Amino acid sequence: MVKEQNTTHPAPCIIPFLSILHTGMTRILATRHGTLGVVILIGLACLAVAAPLLAPYHPFEQTPLSLAPPSARYPFGTDNIGRDIFSLILYGSRSSLLVGFGAATAALFVGGAIGIMAGYFRGPTEAVLMRVIEVFQTLPVIMLVLCAVALFGSSFWLLIAAVALAIWPMEARLIYGQFIKLREREFVAAARVADLSTTHIIFREILPNAIQPVIVQVALDASAAILIEAGLGFLGLSDPSMVSWGQLLFVAQDYMDSAWWMSLFPGIAICITVIGLNMFADGLNEIVDPRREIGGLQ
Amino acid sequence: MLRLVAHRALLSVPLLLVIIIVLFSMLRLIPGDPVQALVGDFPVPPAFRLAIEKKYHLNDGFLLQVSSYLLDALRGDFGYSYQSQRPVLDLIVERAPRTILLASVGFAFAIPLGLVLGIVSGATRSARTDKVITTAALVAYAVPTFWLGQLLVMFFALRLGWLPTQGIGPLVSRAHGMSWLLEKARYIALPAAAFAVHEGMRVARIMRASVIDTLSQGYIVTARAKGLSRSEIIRRHVLRNSSLPLVTIAGYAFGSALSGAVLLETVFSWPGLGLLLVESIRFRDNMTVIGVVIFSALAVIVMNLVVDILYAVLDPRIRTQR
Repeated sequence: MVKEQNTTHPAPCIIPFLSILHTGMTRILATRHGTLGVVILIGLACLAVAAPLLAPYHPFEQTPLSLAPPSARYPFGTDNIGRDIFSLILYGSRSSLLVGFGAATAALFVGGAIGIMAGYFRGPTEAVLMRVIEVFQTLPVIMLVLCAVALFGSSFWLLIAAVALAIWPMEARLIYGQFIKLREREFVAAARVADLSTTHIIFREILPNAIQPVIVQVALDASAAILIEAGLGFLGLSDPSMVSWGQLLFVAQDYMDSAWWMSLFPGIAICITVIGLNMFADGLNEIVDPRREIGGLQ
Repeated sequence: MLRLVAHRALLSVPLLLVIIIVLFSMLRLIPGDPVQALVGDFPVPPAFRLAIEKKYHLNDGFLLQVSSYLLDALRGDFGYSYQSQRPVLDLIVERAPRTILLASVGFAFAIPLGLVLGIVSGATRSARTDKVITTAALVAYAVPTFWLGQLLVMFFALRLGWLPTQGIGPLVSRAHGMSWLLEKARYIALPAAAFAVHEGMRVARIMRASVIDTLSQGYIVTARAKGLSRSEIIRRHVLRNSSLPLVTIAGYAFGSALSGAVLLETVFSWPGLGLLLVESIRFRDNMTVIGVVIFSALAVIVMNLVVDILYAVLDPRIRTQR
């Protein structure tokens, strides 16, 4: 990936995408954090997909024992209405991962579109769009999401939209910054002289050269999204028809004095997911910008 | 300098206006009836409904509502909270200092912690030390503050019984002077600790990047060439030059403190702005919701302005650019 970046020619088109993915994978597996991150993420994805096979109980099934401590029958104990926490956590991984990746993807497209428009077209477009971004960055993130979800109800898709609403400005700023840097470069001027269409210049010339730090940001966005979703669940604002880790912590708040396992295990699950994503982003960052890893006096 | 301040202040006026209009439109779109919420689970007498609707301008047009709100706000009247039967401004003035207190104590621990970790891992010659610190920071940064709060409560308050589980102080307190301060400290210790771990890791990450950046500058090579020792270089050149991001940290501090407060204050029942927002959203107390969000936005705008000015004061390169 780095090789493509360092040559003065822009990456020609998106066809060698697969080979880039392949080199990317090889390179990220060469970094320690990257490997750990990939392993954690693949493991989590498998658990989420295989949840019905692995979970000993249905997530909403109420066993006769409520508030039972961890045992062989209930590895992580049971909650206040007798549901098996191990099964709940397995099923909860689905909503956390979906919200994380869904919101990060939505933020990438919304932030990307706005960042590209603000960065490529100058003048009033740029001024107006930058003001819009500023409005969203001025409001504290959680407050914004909190208002949106609390006011419009907490269906699953709305949750994704609300979390995306909070994180897209970071994406937009980054892409904007890349575009204003690149739009003055020679190869863009050459493309203009060659009378290529604006769409061609944006998507075929500039975008492939701007995309690398953006990929890192998407991974970080996903981890931020999972934390925000957990926070909303903790405030009792997650979709009640789906199990989520934050929601488990919300219930656990009332049983802190009697059932530590209700809080401990969902929290660990959140941490592992976020750590996995952050390590993945770290690995990506290392291969995109190897300079950053150099520390100390040379 | 004065022009810079005036320019930035003027720019923030339309920003606030847009925020207010967005909030009003959001609140108008939602289902839910504030009069019903006020009465609770009882049927609403029509006469009472009429009186309330008239009193709080619930049926006025959108523009009329926004403009009358703005005019009142300019006079310092941010509406009336019908949940707690008090002016919204009173509520905010009462709650804000508690959130600021929690954040300040948290940052008082977070900044030294982050500074030390960030500088050591950025400047160390041992790749292993750097790796250990960055990995630890990465792991600690992934811990949600509210969950850390729960863990702290379960261990230090419930298991060991050393500290209170929640609240800002005992219901009745007869303590004075030093012992009053100690009593307060017992209540703030756990929430501040949870806050400090998260923010400290953020400071550490920013400082590490900044130290590494400074070390690659030309004047460090010059200093080496002059024969300065490594520790001297770090003390005399690196520390000062890489501390500029600390100002940025101070700037976002307020915004992140307010965001963090929503969750942290819920865990510890700390009666600050965050808890106020959560409560007023739950009770559909729209005026309070708007008031708290506007106050937060205003605080962030003011802090950003302060950061810009501080930057210009501290870094001559920025000053001459404008």
